[in-house]
Amino acid sequence: MAKSIRLAAALGLMLTGPVAGDTADGDALIGQDWDTIIEMARGGEVNWFLWGGSDTINQYVSEYLGGILEDEYGITLNRVGLSDTVEAVNIVLGEAEAGVTEDGSVDLIWINGENFRTMVQADLAWCGYPGTLPNNDLIDWDNPSIATDFGVPVDGCEMPWNRAQFAIAYDSARTEMPPRTIAELIDWVDANPGQFTYPAPPDFNGSVFVRHVFYHAAGGVDALLGPFDQALYDEVAPRAWEILNAMEPHLWREGQTYPTSITQLDQLFANSEVAFSFNYDPSQFGLAVESGLWPETVRSYGFADGTIGNTNYTLIPFNSPNKAAALVLQNLLISAEAQLEKARPEVWGTVPAIDLGAVPDEIRAEFDALPSHPSVVAPEVLAEAALPELQAEWIAAIEQGWIENVGR
Amino acid sequence: MPGGARTFLLLAPALVVIGVLFLGGLGVAVLRSVGYMPLIGLTDPSLDAYAALLSNRDFYRSLALSLHISITSTLIASVIAVGAALLLRRGFAGRGIVSFLFQLNLTVPHLVGAIGILYLFSQSGSFARLGYQVGLIDQPGQFPALVYDPFAVGIILQYVWKEVPFIGLVVLAQMQGIGADYEAAARSLGARPWQAFRHVLLPLILPGLLASSAIVFAFTFGAYEIPALLGQSHPQALPVLAYRLFTDVDLAARPQAMAASILIAAISGVMVWAYVALTRRRVGG
Amino acid sequence: MGRALRTTLGTVLILWLVLPLIPLGLWSFARGWRWPDLLPPVWTLDAWAYALSQTGGVLQSLWTTIAIALAATALSLLIGIPAGRALGLHRFRGKALVELLILAPVIVPGIAVVFGVQTVFVSLGLTQSAMGVILAHLIPVLPYTILVMAAVFSGFDTAQEDQARSLGASPAQAFRHVTLPAIAPGILVAGLFAFLVSWSQYILTLVIGGGRVETLPLLLFGFVTSGRNDIAGAIAMINILPGLLILFVTARRLTGRSAALPGILRP
Repeated sequence: MAKSIRLAAALGLMLTGPVAGDTADGDALIGQDWDTIIEMARGGEVNWFLWGGSDTINQYVSEYLGGILEDEYGITLNRVGLSDTVEAVNIVLGEAEAGVTEDGSVDLIWINGENFRTMVQADLAWCGYPGTLPNNDLIDWDNPSIATDFGVPVDGCEMPWNRAQFAIAYDSARTEMPPRTIAELIDWVDANPGQFTYPAPPDFNGSVFVRHVFYHAAGGVDALLGPFDQALYDEVAPRAWEILNAMEPHLWREGQTYPTSITQLDQLFANSEVAFSFNYDPSQFGLAVESGLWPETVRSYGFADGTIGNTNYTLIPFNSPNKAAALVLQNLLISAEAQLEKARPEVWGTVPAIDLGAVPDEIRAEFDALPSHPSVVAPEVLAEAALPELQAEWIAAIEQGWIENVGR
Repeated sequence: MPGGARTFLLLAPALVVIGVLFLGGLGVAVLRSVGYMPLIGLTDPSLDAYAALLSNRDFYRSLALSLHISITSTLIASVIAVGAALLLRRGFAGRGIVSFLFQLNLTVPHLVGAIGILYLFSQSGSFARLGYQVGLIDQPGQFPALVYDPFAVGIILQYVWKEVPFIGLVVLAQMQGIGADYEAAARSLGARPWQAFRHVLLPLILPGLLASSAIVFAFTFGAYEIPALLGQSHPQALPVLAYRLFTDVDLAARPQAMAASILIAAISGVMVWAYVALTRRRVGG
Repeated sequence: MGRALRTTLGTVLILWLVLPLIPLGLWSFARGWRWPDLLPPVWTLDAWAYALSQTGGVLQSLWTTIAIALAATALSLLIGIPAGRALGLHRFRGKALVELLILAPVIVPGIAVVFGVQTVFVSLGLTQSAMGVILAHLIPVLPYTILVMAAVFSGFDTAQEDQARSLGASPAQAFRHVTLPAIAPGILVAGLFAFLVSWSQYILTLVIGGGRVETLPLLLFGFVTSGRNDIAGAIAMINILPGLLILFVTARRLTGRSAALPGILRP
């Protein structure tokens, strides 16, 4: 029955041409010939929900990516700017709860970590399609930092877009000797009261800072890898809260309040209220300098005892009505050309998620020749001391523990 | 057409819209807060969400913060507004400009005002920089914390900025409707200016003052974007807490968000009623 | 109160009213404006160039906001004029209750209603759509429209209509040639304020529009929380414009009859 319907649909397609914006049935797309998918997507639209706080990223998405989609495929890209990715997750959750299974409003989400876990656990992600994308060949799925997202297996439910590793930013005109390890940072905060703070978890970046302290309290990350372990958590967590609570009186505003977002910390740093900012995506430092938010004397580095790295992805919700167009966009996102454009410091400067060993030589040469931004620590340097992410259950427990033991 | 039916027909569309959207919205929130929503498979009503909310210390801290914000803003804005209306009633050099600004200010979205307050009063804002330039402070941390602060000063400043013109124009309109005769009579009978104001003018302008400040109270109690922008990380104002619960990826928090929204509605209703009753008794008596 | 004191207090009031708008205006032309600079070190049109570019999203957002506010205004007038007439001219049983119902959305905060509305709108496919946002905006907009129109009709003399009817005019003709001209200024004022109430909505748009319907206040919030003060400044300036325009349009009417003011104000 289903087969005959699909056949009729294919016939109808041949007779009448593509019906734009009606590719909710993902099964019909998986394994399809790529040209057929392009034809199904042609003339349609794709609604991409992603963090919208950077004008340069917005312009890369709207102008560069949107331009290619429009010119080559006749697809309209609707960039929907979010202030927090959880908003998009929530929309899909709400739709699923209300029984909207085919006509959802989200076609693609820029996502990773806890939000990805939520989507997978609630069965809201469309999976199994990566092999359909021609550019899937550029993805090194054997690399565990690509194939698992914060400990959750990707399993064909999302496509990598960028890689990132935590780094610290300071103003070389103000701070001569920034602390090089978490232990040094803790001493530095004691010696320089009021000059440091971090965003309150569950802010994404505040949360990863707290995890660095948690790793430090655990005496290394190795024991924490693997599934959540309540006994181990109960042993390590009090030590971490003790460190953070001891730090609190020496923080900005004596720790009575914390910035609510990383951008609030960025503002404090810009105005010399604190001596450091940090980010999971160091290319943001370059963007902040280029936009005039930060002075050109900003430099960045990673802790000698390592900083945490992650990969971020794009995901197609189960109820996206424009899956074909979303696939075309995803394929474009991981194309060597689009990844190269995105790696240019003046465009974004982020680290590619594709395997540079697999891209054509002439593009590889361009990648190698890319200038680096003086304010952004080189990814190769950071990679020398990289720490893995924890599984999402760990992260949720640490965030909740912080709120209960430190934040209030 | 008989008068009754005609009146009903005239009112029907408005009542349908308000009935469906407003009462309907409230009703659905009540149903979801008790977990009864057969449409989406919830058939087991309970008061768990209210119990969870009311046994949470954060809820009371948020409630206290929101009450503090709305009571303080309404009081300060009302007093300044009456003063400004008294000022505007008589002529002075900048009167035309003030009335223009009062009206302009009414049209400015709250969010815009809030951002202005942020740029002015943050520890690295315009006033702090002025303090640095004249040598009062050396670094931002020495400027008093007026935004993201425990006493919600920045939030209250924004509301006062925005609501003084609102209450002021209402009160002014009422003063102009009254004219100066009553007060002049009181003054000629030997009343001092304050007595004339307290016992003659104030009761006369009370209806407008009450109505406008009650609206301000309810608004400042329930607004989201201002405390979301200018508030500290913890505790959060009640509407911010409700929205956070609503957007929690753990769907189990949704009924609590609904319960919080119902409590916001109930509290603002009761507070407005109590405020009107109380003020009427004190000033009218 | 002495004249000098009044002038001083008036000046303080003026400064206070203008003050918060100044850094917003400055920021829209600033670059690298950091502590401890009292004024921007570098002046630039970059933020405006972004705000007015075709791909920046600000212009689209401007049109979206205008379209939604116009639609909400039109709907609320359509529904609010008859209701205002009933409340302003007629006495009937249960009038107090009806008035309370119409006032209730003014007193009960939007956040108390919007979660429930969103639940229903999701199943109706009205979330993420401008239509849904317009309907949601009716909740705060309609009461104000009705209250203004009730005030307008309470000063309207129905004898003129009766006279027109007795001279053979149809109800439609009587409305068109007698009623409408008499209430037109009131409709204009009600419409302008309805527009402004919709124009500055935040939480209703956020919850119902779900980010997909990005009005200017949402866009503004996004840029200010991501630290782009320059672009936020430019958007804030754009956000003030309609109010300013409307003010110039209505300046005469508002100062002429200030007794009508209480009905048309909002917090």
